[in-house]
Amino acid sequence: MVSVINTVDTSHEDMIHDAQMDYYGTRLATCSSDRSVKIFDVRNGGQILIADLRGHEGPVWQVAWAHPMYGNILASCSYDRKVIVWKEENGTWEKTYEYTGHDSSVNSVCWAPHDYGLILACGSSDGAISLLSYTGDGQWEIKKISNAHTIGCNAVSWAPAVVPGSLIDQPSGQKPNYIKRFASGGCDNLIKIWKEEDAQWKEEQKLEAHSDWVRDVAWAPSIGLPTSTIASCSQDGRVFIWTCDDASGNSWSPKLLHKFNDVVWHVSWSITANILAVSGGDNKVTLWKESVDGLWVCISDVNKGQGAVSAITEGQQNEQ
Amino acid sequence: MKLKEIDRTAMQAWSPAQQHPIYLATGTSAQQLDATFSTNASLEIFELDLSDPSLDMKSCATFSSSHRYHKLIWGPHTMASDGSLSGVLIAGGENGNIILYDPSKIIAGESEVIIAQKDKHTGPVRALDVNIFQTNLVASGANESEIYIWDLNNFATPMTPGAKTQPPEDISCIAWNRQVQHILASASPSGRATVWDLRKNEPIIKVSDHSNRMHCSDLAWHPDVATQMVLASEDDRLPVIQMWDLRFASSPLRVLENHTRGILTIAWSMADSELLLSCGKDAKILCSNPNTGEVLYELPTNTQWCFDVQWCPRNPAILSAASFDGRISIYSIMGGSTDGLRQKQVDKLSSSFGNLDPFGTGQPLPPLHLPQQTTPQSTVLPLKKPPKWVRRPVGASFSFGGKLVTFENIKSHQQGPEQQQLQHHVYVSQVVTEREFLNRSDQLQEAVQSEGFINYCQKKIEAAQTDFEKNVWSFLKVNFEEDSRGKYLELLGYRKDDLGQKITSALNKENLVDGKLEEALKESDQSVQSNGEDSQSTEEPFLGEKTKEETEDLTSGKETFNISVSGDVDGLITQALLTGSFESAVDLCLHDNRMADAIILAIAGGQELLSRTQKKYFAKMQSKITRLITAVVTKNWKEIVQSCDLQNWREALAAVLTYARPDEFAALCDLLGTRLENEGDNLLQTQACLCYICAGNVEKLVACWTKAQDGNSPLSLQDLIEKVIILRKAVQFTRSMDADAVGALLAEKMSQYANLLAAQGSIATALAFLPADTNQPKIVLLRDRLCRAQGELPVGQETPKSPYEREPVPKGRAGPVAGQMQMTQGPVQQYYQQGDNPPPPGFIMPPGAAHPNVLPHQAASPSYNMYSPAGARQPYPQTYQPPQQYSFGTGGSALYQPQQPIAPPTSASYANPPYMPSASPHSAPSQLYPGQPQPSPTSLNPGSSFPAPPSGASFQHGRPGAPATSVAYALSTGPTGTLPATNELPASQRTGPQNGWNDPPALNRMTKKKKIPDNFMPPAPITSPIMNPLLDPQSQMQQPPTSLPPAAQATFQPSHLPSGQPILQNPFQPIQQPLGQSVMPPAISKTSTEGAPGAPIGNTIQHVQSLPAEKITKKPIPDEHLILKTTFEALIQRCLSSATDPQTKRKLDDANKRLEFLYDKLREQTLSPAIINGLHSIAKSIETRNYTEGLNIHTHIVSTSNFSETSAFMPVLKVVLTQANKLGV
Repeated sequence: MVSVINTVDTSHEDMIHDAQMDYYGTRLATCSSDRSVKIFDVRNGGQILIADLRGHEGPVWQVAWAHPMYGNILASCSYDRKVIVWKEENGTWEKTYEYTGHDSSVNSVCWAPHDYGLILACGSSDGAISLLSYTGDGQWEIKKISNAHTIGCNAVSWAPAVVPGSLIDQPSGQKPNYIKRFASGGCDNLIKIWKEEDAQWKEEQKLEAHSDWVRDVAWAPSIGLPTSTIASCSQDGRVFIWTCDDASGNSWSPKLLHKFNDVVWHVSWSITANILAVSGGDNKVTLWKESVDGLWVCISDVNKGQGAVSAITEGQQNEQ
Repeated sequence: MKLKEIDRTAMQAWSPAQQHPIYLATGTSAQQLDATFSTNASLEIFELDLSDPSLDMKSCATFSSSHRYHKLIWGPHTMASDGSLSGVLIAGGENGNIILYDPSKIIAGESEVIIAQKDKHTGPVRALDVNIFQTNLVASGANESEIYIWDLNNFATPMTPGAKTQPPEDISCIAWNRQVQHILASASPSGRATVWDLRKNEPIIKVSDHSNRMHCSDLAWHPDVATQMVLASEDDRLPVIQMWDLRFASSPLRVLENHTRGILTIAWSMADSELLLSCGKDAKILCSNPNTGEVLYELPTNTQWCFDVQWCPRNPAILSAASFDGRISIYSIMGGSTDGLRQKQVDKLSSSFGNLDPFGTGQPLPPLHLPQQTTPQSTVLPLKKPPKWVRRPVGASFSFGGKLVTFENIKSHQQGPEQQQLQHHVYVSQVVTEREFLNRSDQLQEAVQSEGFINYCQKKIEAAQTDFEKNVWSFLKVNFEEDSRGKYLELLGYRKDDLGQKITSALNKENLVDGKLEEALKESDQSVQSNGEDSQSTEEPFLGEKTKEETEDLTSGKETFNISVSGDVDGLITQALLTGSFESAVDLCLHDNRMADAIILAIAGGQELLSRTQKKYFAKMQSKITRLITAVVTKNWKEIVQSCDLQNWREALAAVLTYARPDEFAALCDLLGTRLENEGDNLLQTQACLCYICAGNVEKLVACWTKAQDGNSPLSLQDLIEKVIILRKAVQFTRSMDADAVGALLAEKMSQYANLLAAQGSIATALAFLPADTNQPKIVLLRDRLCRAQGELPVGQETPKSPYEREPVPKGRAGPVAGQMQMTQGPVQQYYQQGDNPPPPGFIMPPGAAHPNVLPHQAASPSYNMYSPAGARQPYPQTYQPPQQYSFGTGGSALYQPQQPIAPPTSASYANPPYMPSASPHSAPSQLYPGQPQPSPTSLNPGSSFPAPPSGASFQHGRPGAPATSVAYALSTGPTGTLPATNELPASQRTGPQNGWNDPPALNRMTKKKKIPDNFMPPAPITSPIMNPLLDPQSQMQQPPTSLPPAAQATFQPSHLPSGQPILQNPFQPIQQPLGQSVMPPAISKTSTEGAPGAPIGNTIQHVQSLPAEKITKKPIPDEHLILKTTFEALIQRCLSSATDPQTKRKLDDANKRLEFLYDKLREQTLSPAIINGLHSIAKSIETRNYTEGLNIHTHIVSTSNFSETSAFMPVLKVVLTQANKLGV
C-alpha cells in the first residue's frame, strides 16, 4: 500500500525539517538545521542535487514551491527571522527576494492558490503573519497581521481557490470573484481563519479545540464540493478535522481524528483530499481516510505493520 | 518578550504539564514585604490566557491564607485524566509547616481548601520537590539538615532519606533526579550538595568544590543525563553555575560564569536540556546552554533582582520570574515585538519606592547595574539557538501522483559522535489506496489497447451484480457485434427467430385460411407476454404486419363471394365498386366498420386513396396497437417515442431499433432517453442510460449516470468511465462517427478520473484517459502536469517549457496556454480518429510520442506555429502506409489491417460525384498540407508518400458527412477519372498564389477543430510526397505555391497505370515504388528528417523510411532529353549566382531539387509527347534567354496538358523562368 520508491540521501548535516515535492512531483526541496535548502531532481527514482541554497543563518523550517506558472520558485523560512524566495533563472537557483520583516523565527510559509497571483503567507514566532504579494518588477507588497497568535504562529495554510457558486457554471471570461482565505495555527492553541475583505486581512473565525500548541494546519484541496475541510494537529497529540458546510464559512465543527500519545507535528492532505498523512513526534507516519460512516480510519499504521512507511525505511537503512 | 504581569510579591508555581488551561499559583512570600508593608497573605490562582493580548493575567481565585510561603510547588498527584483542574499545591511555610492545598477547591471558591498540613520541620521550609516518577512523593528540606520524604497518599509520617548530614545546616534546595526515581539531591548554602539513594537510605555522594566560596542557592538535575547536575552560587565573589557529573565528582565538569553577581535561582528546561535559566543579583535573567556555557538569551528585564524563576511545564516557551519589586512577569523566550497593546501603565506605587528597601530588612541594597535599560525594546529577539521544541523532527507530505515524501530524525538520547553519522534521508513512497480501482482501470486500458471489447463486455456482463448493470453491458457489447440493432432487439426481449416460430405455430394452430389474423396476433402477443416480457409486446406486429398482407392476399384470393347489389351496405359497396368509385366504396366500408375491406379497396384505389384511408382508419381505430401501426405505416417514429407511455420505453426503443432510418436513429434514441430521464421515476431514469447507449450519446450517458449515481467514490467513477470508454469505442467502431470533442461534463469526469488515477500513482494511465481534444484549462493543465510528472521528456525534446513558464504574471494565463495546447493536441486526436479501430480520443499511445510536440512548437515563431499541427501529426504518416507492407508497434497495424476487406465497398459507395467536381475540397486540404514541413521526412519514403494511403483514409471516413475525403474517393475509384477532377483545381492553385503555401488559411484551423479527419487525411496524397521530400523544412516554408500542383500530379500520375495492381483500392501502389525510388535519394530524406525541429522521430518511422530507400536505383535520362536537364540546371545556376537575397536563393535551390520530379518522369518516359515538345521549346527559349517566350510556352503547356501529369514540376519551372526573367541572367 505504501512502498518506498526512492530514498534520497540529502547529505544534510543536521536535522531535516521539511521536504516538499514540486507541482509535478519531479523535484524535491529539503531544508535542514544545517541552514541549507537543497533541491534534488528525483525523476525516475534518481536523486540529482540541483541546488544547494545557502543564505539562511539559522535552521530552515519550511520550504514551499510556487505554482509553476510563475516559474521555478521556492520559498523558505528560517529561525533567522528571514523568508527567502529563490528562483531558477537559466538553470541556476538564486535568491530573488529576502523578507526580514519578522522579529522572530519564521515557522511556516505557504503560497496562495495560483489563481490569486504570487502571494506568500508567512507565520512567525513573533506572533505575526505576513502576506507578501508579488506586484511585478521584483517588487513585493507586504501586509502584516500583528499578533495573530500570541507567542507565535506555527503554521499557515491557504484555502483552495473556490469561487462562490458552482464550479461548472462559472462564467467564462470574467475574472472570478475569489474570496481569499487561509488558516493559521499557533502557540495560543488556536486555529484562526483569516479572510481578505477590502484588501484587509481580518480574523474570520477562531477555532478552539486544542489544548496545546497547534503545530500544523492543512486546508484540504477542493474536490468540487462546497464543504471546506481543515486538518489540525497539536502538541496535545490530537488531530482534528474541521469542516464547514456553509458557504459563508462561519460554522466550523471539529471531529477528533485521533489522540496520539505524542506531539503531532505535521498533517498533509493527498491531492485528492481523501487521505491525510499524520506525522507524529514518535517519528511515525500514519495515513488516515474517512470511512463511509464518517469515521476516520487509519489505513496505514506502522505499528500494525501494514503499510509500514517507517518499517520499510528502516529496512532500507539497514541495507545501507 | 514579556507577555503578562502580576503585581505580587509572591512565590509562584505553574500548574503541571497535564493541566489545560495553564494556571499560575502565587503565594505571598515570606520574608518579604511589598511597598504597602501589608502582612496579609494569600494564595492566588491565575489563568494564562494567551488569546488575550493584554498584559493582565486573569485571576481565577484568591484564598486568604494565614501563612506566608518560602516555597510553592504544584504537583500532578491525583490529577484527573480528563484534565479538569486538580493536582496538589504544596507549600512550604515559615514555621516548619508543609501545607497541601487543593487547587480545584481554591478555584471553586471553597473555604476548606487545605488537604493536609504538617509541622514536622524545624524552621522555614525552603526546599520542596515532587518526584516526577511517583508524583505522590514529595521531598522537603528545612533547617538542621532536615530532609523528609512525604507520601501524599499517607501524609502522616514522613520518611527520611538517610541519616542527617553533619554538621547540621540549612537545606536551601532539594531535587529529585530526572532519570532515576530513587535519587535525590539536596544542597545547602554552605556549598555542599548531597546525593541520596532512597533504596539504600543513605547519602551516596557529596559534591563540593574546594573553594568554600560556593554558596548553593539552587540546584537542578540534568533533564536527560542522570549523572549530571548544576549548582548555583549566590556568593557575589563566585557568581557561577557549576555543572557536575557524578562520575567525576572531584571537580565541576564546567563552570558557567555569565553572571556578575550572585545567582539567586536557576531553572532547567524540561523541554530542552540546552536551556538553563538563571537570575542573579546583577538583575539579569539569562538563558544559557549549560552544556557549552554559551549565553543564548538575556531576558529584557529592567527592574529588580529575581528570586524565583520557573519554566512553564506545559508551554515550553514561557517562563515566569518573580522579582523583588513586587511583580511576577511572564515572558516568552521566542521573541517578538511589543506593540502598543502590551503597554501597561507604570506601577507608580512601586516606582515611588524605587530601590530603597524592598526587602524591608533594613539592609541597604547595592546599586543596580543596568538602571538605564528601563525602556523596553519594542522588538525582542528570540533565543540564539532554536529550542528543541520548535525543531520539527518528522514530516510526511503528499505530492502529485500519490507520492508521499517522508523524513524522520532518529531520536538520539546520547549526544556524541554517532549523531554525526546519522544519515539524513528523505523517502519518497508510492501510496496506493484504491487497489480495485486500479485493477479495473488496468483491465479497461488493456481492453482498449487490445481492442478486446467484446470479451471485456462479456466479462462485465458475467460479473454484473445487478440486472441493470448487466443490461448496460449487454447493450454496450452489442455495439461490437454484427447486426447490432438486431441484437439490441433481442436484448429488449424480441428475438426474431422465436417470434417467427411463434407466429408460424400460431398460424398453423389457427388454421388461418379464413383470415383470423387478429387472433393469431393476439396469440403471439400472449405468447410473448407469457415469455416474460413485461407489457403488451408491441413488437410482434412488425413481423405480423408482413404476414398480414400476404395472408390477406391469400384469403381474398380464395374466397368466393356473391356480388350483391342489394340496398344494404354490401349492396352499396358493390355498386360503388362496380362503378369504379373506390373512394366511395372505401368510405362505405369504413362507415360499416369493415376496415379490412376498406384498406384492401384503398390499395386498389391507388396510393393517394390508400394513405387517406390509412389516416381515416387510424383516426377511427383506437386500439392499443393502433398507434404503433400508425407509426409503422406512416414511419412517424418520433410520435411513438414522444408519446408512448414511459413504462413501455422498451417497446418504443425496440420499434426505433427496428424501423428508424440510420439518420434518425440516434436522435430517436436520444429523445426516448431524455424523456425517461426527465419524466420517469428513478428506475426509468437509469434505463435512460440504455437509450443513450443505443444512441451512442456519450455525453448524455455521462449526465444521466452522474445524476443517478454518486460519482465521487473512485469505484463509481470507474463504473462510469468503463462504460463511457467502451461506448466511445463503440461509436467509433460501429458508426464511424468521429467522436466529437469531449463535452464539458464528460471532460470533467474524465479529468476527475485522471486525477484519481494520478493520485494512485498511475500517471501514464491517467494521461491516457485524459481527453486530448479539449481546451478546458483545467484539463490542459492537468495534462501538462501529468506529462511532466512522468519525468520523461520525449526524444528530441528541448528544455522543457511548461505552459506557464514565463515571468510571474498572475493574470491571463489560461487563455494562451489553452490555445497552444489545443493547437497541438487537435492533430493528435485526428491521428487516432482515422483508424477503423482507433483508440478513444482520450487515448494517446504512446503518450510520449504525441504530447512532446507541444513544446517545440511553442518555442517556434508564430508563423511556424501555424504549421505546428502538421508537426504534431508526425505519427500519422504511419497511417498512410500500405497495410500489407508495414506493421507498426503500437496500434498502427491494428488500425489499418481491417481496411482491406472493408474498404472496397465503402469507397465505391461513397465515391460520390458531387464531390468530384468540387474544387474547394481539394484546395482547402491542399493548402493545409503545404504547411507541414515536419511530416516531410516520413513522407519522403516512398512507402509512405504514396496515394495508397488515401485509400485507407477514404475508407475510414467514407461515410456521408466527410466531404473532404472525397478527394481520396475520387482518386481511388476512378484512376482515369481523376484527371478532370484535378483539372478543376482553380487556376490560381496551379499557378500558385503565395498564400497557398505559407499561410494555412484560417479555415484550416477551424476545420481542424471540428472535422478533423476530413481536412486532415485527403491532402496528404496531394502534397506530402512531393513537397516534403525535396525541401528542408525551412526552404519549404518559403516555397512558392507553385509546387502545389506538382504535388497533385505526383499522386495522380500513378493512377494511370493500375496494371497488375492486385488491390483495387490501391491503384497507385505499383507506381509508388518506382516513383519513390527515383524521387527520393535516401540522403535527402535523412537530412530533412533531421531538419524537422523538435519533431520526435519514432523508430517506426525511420524504419519505414529505410525500407524503400534501399531499393532505390535510377534509370538514366534518355539522351535526347538530357538537354532539358542540363539547360534547366544551368539556368538555375545562373540565377543562383546573380540572385542576392537569400529567399530567392532558397527558392531556386528548392526549384532545383523539385525539378528532380521532371527528370524522374523523363527517366520513366511517362510524359506525353506534347509536353516533352513543349519542354524542349522552353529549353530553346532559355538558350536564347527569351524567358518571356519560355513563360508563354509554359502557360500553353499547362493549359493544354493533363494537370496531374505536369503539376509536379511545371510550377517549379515557372518559378525558375520568372526568376531568370527578373534577374536578367
